[in-house]
Amino acid sequence: MSRRVFVTGYGIITSIGTGAEKNYESLINRHCGYGAIELLDTVHQTDIPACEIKLHDHELCKLADVPDGSGYTRTALLGVIALREAMAMANLSTNEIKQAGLLSATTTGGIRELEKYYYQLQDSSQQGNFRVFSDSANPGEHTERMAELFGIKGYIGTISTACSSSANTIMMGADLIKNGVLNTAICGGTEALSKFTINGFNTLMILDKEQCRPFDKSRTGLNLGEGAAYLVLESEESILASGKKPIAEVKGYGNTNDAFHQTASSPDGGGAYQAMLHALVMGGVTSSQIDYVNAHGTATENNDLSEGLAMQKLFDAKVPHFSSTKPYTGHTLAAAGAIEAVFCMLAMQHDIIYPSINFKYQMDELTISPQQELIKNIKLNYILSNSFGFGGNASSLLFSSVTK
Amino acid sequence: MKERYYINGVGIVSPQRTFDNAEFLNEITHYNENVLHCVLPEFKEYINPIQLRRLSRMLRVGLSAAVICLRDSKEIAPHGIITGTGYGFLHETAKFLEEIYQYNEKQLTPTYFMQSTYNALAGLVALTLKCKGYNNTHVNKGFAFETSLHDAMMHLTPDASQTFLVGAFDETDKAQFNIHSQIGYYKAEPIDSLKLFEYKTTGTLQGEGAAFFSISGTPGENVLCELADLKMIFCPEDSHSLAMDVNEFLSANNITTDQVDVLVSGLSGDVKNDEKLKVVIETEFNHSIDVRFKHLSGEYCTASSFGCWVGASILKKQYIPDVLRFNNTIATNPKTVLIINQYMGRNYSLILLKNK
Repeated sequence: MSRRVFVTGYGIITSIGTGAEKNYESLINRHCGYGAIELLDTVHQTDIPACEIKLHDHELCKLADVPDGSGYTRTALLGVIALREAMAMANLSTNEIKQAGLLSATTTGGIRELEKYYYQLQDSSQQGNFRVFSDSANPGEHTERMAELFGIKGYIGTISTACSSSANTIMMGADLIKNGVLNTAICGGTEALSKFTINGFNTLMILDKEQCRPFDKSRTGLNLGEGAAYLVLESEESILASGKKPIAEVKGYGNTNDAFHQTASSPDGGGAYQAMLHALVMGGVTSSQIDYVNAHGTATENNDLSEGLAMQKLFDAKVPHFSSTKPYTGHTLAAAGAIEAVFCMLAMQHDIIYPSINFKYQMDELTISPQQELIKNIKLNYILSNSFGFGGNASSLLFSSVTK
Repeated sequence: MKERYYINGVGIVSPQRTFDNAEFLNEITHYNENVLHCVLPEFKEYINPIQLRRLSRMLRVGLSAAVICLRDSKEIAPHGIITGTGYGFLHETAKFLEEIYQYNEKQLTPTYFMQSTYNALAGLVALTLKCKGYNNTHVNKGFAFETSLHDAMMHLTPDASQTFLVGAFDETDKAQFNIHSQIGYYKAEPIDSLKLFEYKTTGTLQGEGAAFFSISGTPGENVLCELADLKMIFCPEDSHSLAMDVNEFLSANNITTDQVDVLVSGLSGDVKNDEKLKVVIETEFNHSIDVRFKHLSGEYCTASSFGCWVGASILKKQYIPDVLRFNNTIATNPKTVLIINQYMGRNYSLILLKNK
């Protein structure tokens, strides 16, 4: 029953660009999306900078090619834009799209619109076009809307495991293919900035007012971001039949729970270690074969310590190159796993490793530090991509090159 | 060969007194305001007092259901925890939103935010049981419970000896009731919940509940039934296409519609949303016992978990309480139960249960 699963397309939108190409350019040129908030209406526009996509919803409607004012939340719009690119790259036929599954992730669905119209929506004396958002805060709403827009019928699912959500959609999609339920699974996530999220993270006191500094001794927290990314996964049979050239193979994955604290990771990174280990075991790969780790690296005190220790334990003395792309895009929460999976695809295709920026001071607790300069012409056969979240959720994805 | 899965234990807290597995709807609660709230168990029987103080109402309800399920299954350490919810923790979400307005985004309560995340219950159950294995939360409206079950089934395929705790939860909320009432989700006039199916109007009742199931590839000592298969159908074109999907599903399981002893349907009392399902029941299942449940649970995204509990309990206890029955068909020893749910006329799901 176990079938091989390949990536045949991807699409992405973040604060560092619309589309894979633009994102790639920004990454290798150290361009970040960090700055004052301009579009989201919040009292924290200047005191809590974030990685905001500087496109208004009506502009996103154009990019998404959907009518303005028809109830697409910002979450859904970002999703549609990334999904279009992914399906086009994978060159999916109408029939393949119809039979495909869509697995999407979000942490708060369309809460941005709910928080904007919260009291108006409850007041029956007020009428207006805001009523299109009467039920759009639901986390599954964007997934169903996208499925209907593109005619995806095979399987519909939405996952929400906080910051590891979209990594889990990739696992679920791969499981559905391996179990013969689907031949094509489109997996990823989408996340729009909202007052709800900004204030939520602010109350937890894990937001850095400066640019975030992953794995740095001086780190004090994360920057939030928004964005969306989807990857098209296809079965080996489907690729053999179409003659499509895959981009990478989804070789393994691990999902575990830290069972340590409601929001924090265990200091020794037990969940993170187990998730990475499971991914390696499933892929039949030893730790010494890993060429690069795209770390979760949120730059919170807690995450980077536990993830760093987990890597030291897993790789023993020989930790491979690792970097965090969070300073570029901010932490895009549910979308982060898919966004970083797309970054892994780009790294593999271009034979490069992204520099982890803003690193200055070595952490006392670790013997390792992130890759600070761009590395070119490096063959990446195996990449691990980590995503960890609230509720103890820890996920790790193992991608392997198809041109070994 | 088709894999086999079993429901080895259940725990459910709902608008009826369902938390005691020794009973089966012995006591029925009426509701008159179109909102059905959970009949709560004594939480301290399931949750330690220090932990209890820190938890929101729905986390208490959810964790109690998980503990009841574990005790029912006699399982100590599940391999993974999977939950499904349509709207998550509405109360905490609303509280946090209201504070954002009230205090202009300053000095808010972190607990509301932390307990509003959809995966808060799966994380809490993992933490309580020290379960470090697989952990996931599905949130797709009327498919949230079904994708959770499916996720567990796929994880049991390579190792049938494992056990997964699969839970579903959704809660009632005033703000949501207000908003959704205006787009016709709920009945315009207050009705007697038990007479839900007598009204030929649109709209349904707002319900809530939390249910956990212990799912394994091997039958446990207290096994309720076999979980033979499940399928989801998104927005079927018409009743004909729905009937075709149902028949295809049954024939893939080597069953004919005549062999379905009990048809548990998720009719919601909304004439419009129930339309397709009603036709399928009338045309395909006129030999089966007509069992309905949303007059007892109310409607919510994961109400099919209540339906699944009803079906599993019928097979285990070999008895159907009158309050569930809507025709006079008799089956002396029900062997096969099909649950067909519909949510908002868009998410349809089929769950096939068989006697162990």
